Amino acid sequence: MTWSAVFRLDIARWRRAHTMLAAALIPPLAMGLFVWVLTLSVGRQPVALVVEDHGPQATIMANILTSDTDAYALKETNLKGAERMLASQQVAAVIVIPPAFDADVAKGRATVDFTLNNVDIDFGDDIRRAVARSVAQFDAPYLGFGGERLQAGLKGVVPNPYRVAIAELTLRKTNVGFLAYELAPVMLLVVLSVGTLGIGWLTAADIGSGALRLLRTTPASGLSVASGRVAAALCVVALIDAPLVGYAAWTEHLDLSRAAAVFGLVVLTAAVGVGLGLVVALIFRRPRLVAMAGTTLCSYLFFLGGGFTTIAFLPSWLQTISGAVPTEYAIDGLRQVMFYAQPEHVALDLTVLVSVAVASVAVAAAGIRRAA
Amino acid sequence: MAGDLRSTCGASWRVELAHLRRSWLFLALAFVQGMSFLVLVSLFALTGSRAPTALINSDGSPPSLQFVKDLKAAHGSFSIRPMTAGQARSELDAGRIVAIITIPKGFGASVSRGETALLQVDIDNVDTDMTDDLERAVPSAIVLFGNHYHFAGIRVSSTEHDEIPHDTGYIEYLIVSSLALDVLVVAGVVAGAAVAREWESGTAAVWKTTGSATGFVLGKVAAASAVGAAGAVPPLLLVVLAYRVTPVDWGGAIATLAGCCVLFACTGAALGALIKRVVPTAALLFGLAIPLYMDSGALEPERFDGNKIWSLAHLSPLYSVVGVLEDVFHGLHVTPEPVTADVVMMVAWTLAMFITAGWLAGRRLSA
Repeated sequence: MTWSAVFRLDIARWRRAHTMLAAALIPPLAMGLFVWVLTLSVGRQPVALVVEDHGPQATIMANILTSDTDAYALKETNLKGAERMLASQQVAAVIVIPPAFDADVAKGRATVDFTLNNVDIDFGDDIRRAVARSVAQFDAPYLGFGGERLQAGLKGVVPNPYRVAIAELTLRKTNVGFLAYELAPVMLLVVLSVGTLGIGWLTAADIGSGALRLLRTTPASGLSVASGRVAAALCVVALIDAPLVGYAAWTEHLDLSRAAAVFGLVVLTAAVGVGLGLVVALIFRRPRLVAMAGTTLCSYLFFLGGGFTTIAFLPSWLQTISGAVPTEYAIDGLRQVMFYAQPEHVALDLTVLVSVAVASVAVAAAGIRRAA
Repeated sequence: MAGDLRSTCGASWRVELAHLRRSWLFLALAFVQGMSFLVLVSLFALTGSRAPTALINSDGSPPSLQFVKDLKAAHGSFSIRPMTAGQARSELDAGRIVAIITIPKGFGASVSRGETALLQVDIDNVDTDMTDDLERAVPSAIVLFGNHYHFAGIRVSSTEHDEIPHDTGYIEYLIVSSLALDVLVVAGVVAGAAVAREWESGTAAVWKTTGSATGFVLGKVAAASAVGAAGAVPPLLLVVLAYRVTPVDWGGAIATLAGCCVLFACTGAALGALIKRVVPTAALLFGLAIPLYMDSGALEPERFDGNKIWSLAHLSPLYSVVGVLEDVFHGLHVTPEPVTADVVMMVAWTLAMFITAGWLAGRRLSA
């Protein structure tokens, strides 16, 4: 029996393993859905605006607020309507430009009142920051990013009463949308989950049925069995993820070399998943337990690796743990290649992934030989 | 008929407990899966604020030090890390910080002369969400700075009125609702596996002879609820002792979690009877847990995301559960409906799920 026979046999088993594929694909697809839901709740906050003064200064203030469509999903209404919206949670805050606004501006002590439903600090602080900026723009219309240098020329500064202006220098030419940025790791979660659960499931089934022991009595070498199995798993995982990679390459306008790098990272992540799946199968030995343990393991690898989290935001001890998680290198490498004009330390990312994949497959292969 | 129900329920309960006693590894993994959500939700919450930002203060004058204070006070926007220009550049390039704020030499002198100093902000704009946050946060710090010194020419300020006298931290807010997620996974997976296993292992035929599908489901649900309750104790202790979130209503918190155990055990039993396979049932519960959680008001009151998403949220029992949990733990009202309506919805969901599980099991057993 050669490795190709094992390869063909395993491909046939993968094709019949609908239950396992469902178990492996449901969690990452659900994560993808979660990212989509998250895009609806980040950025713009629902706010009611009540304008009680119709003088020119109040109109300027109202225009500043209504034109900031990045920060607010604004609904103009009267005071009663705003109170009703706040009580029924249709808005998170009510901003009021009071009746004497114009007169107070002339005296230099005008206020914009806002009432905040501060049930949690995350969106509460988003609104506080946005209102502060809007209010500042009344006296300093060019305060904020973008406007300063444009107005003053490259060397000048636009004076403002706050006596501090901002010169923004962005690291990249374009911004990446929240959805694209967070969907990149989901692409890796798919291969990780299918790789880990798939090969873990098949191997656990072989351990349970005694097929592994039977294989030892055949003339096939351990190497050909292992390579056939790993090759089949990588082939299936690559096929499953190919549409996602193609979509990413198309939407991010990746050139051929970058698309190849993305595909390489995906295959290497799958190889890490395959190695870890073999180790999980050796420990738990029953398909049901392997599925549960594999799903949990993938979740940890995903979150600690920077999927939905930005490693830089974590406490230093968690960053240290994260440094030992192979998916951190996979996710970092993928984001570097997909989004960064000059990708950095991709070679390190690839080296770590290759090392972990080879080491885990070698350890698992040795363990399986003993188990057989 | 009542005798059938009682004896079948008793038998189902005893069989399940005996099985669970032998499946300690399965139980342990279910507990670990449930607890994982608490950890993962905390990780997610950590990224919600305090952007790691390098600060290069080339001035050192009192106004520059005041500005640093204002950056730190700018609504949880920054985690300020003083460093040299070289260190900052290398950290930014490596993606370990998201921005560099440089206070130039002569900042204090310019401000004292009444001139406007130019603050340089280098920003890693790879993700628009983070960029937007920073583009609001720096002006917010500048406003605090201007208001501190009462500079002439500032004619407008904002006055904030909070509906609640104290802010609730993001982790504290999220961690409470993740308790529901923990119970969903533990009680749901155990009940789903208990019901599905009977078909997978071919023992469903034995239950046909008892004549009471309701009793069969009731026994499984009772056992799974008991396991779910046991599984909810460690995360509850973790929330109280490690996260220091103490319920404002202890009785309500325990009753709600107990109610969650029954509700999610019924949900798991219904899915188990529908799918009849253990692994897909467990995977479906695990996979659906996070999206359902996100659309339940766990991140913020769900109606803030718009009426469509809010309406969809009512299709998940987690919406009512999160509404009740936030009330009993923090005293917060995160649903427009009154809390009593959320409690009624929880009970209605439980009954609906139990009836569905009984009906599906009955159909499957009589097939």
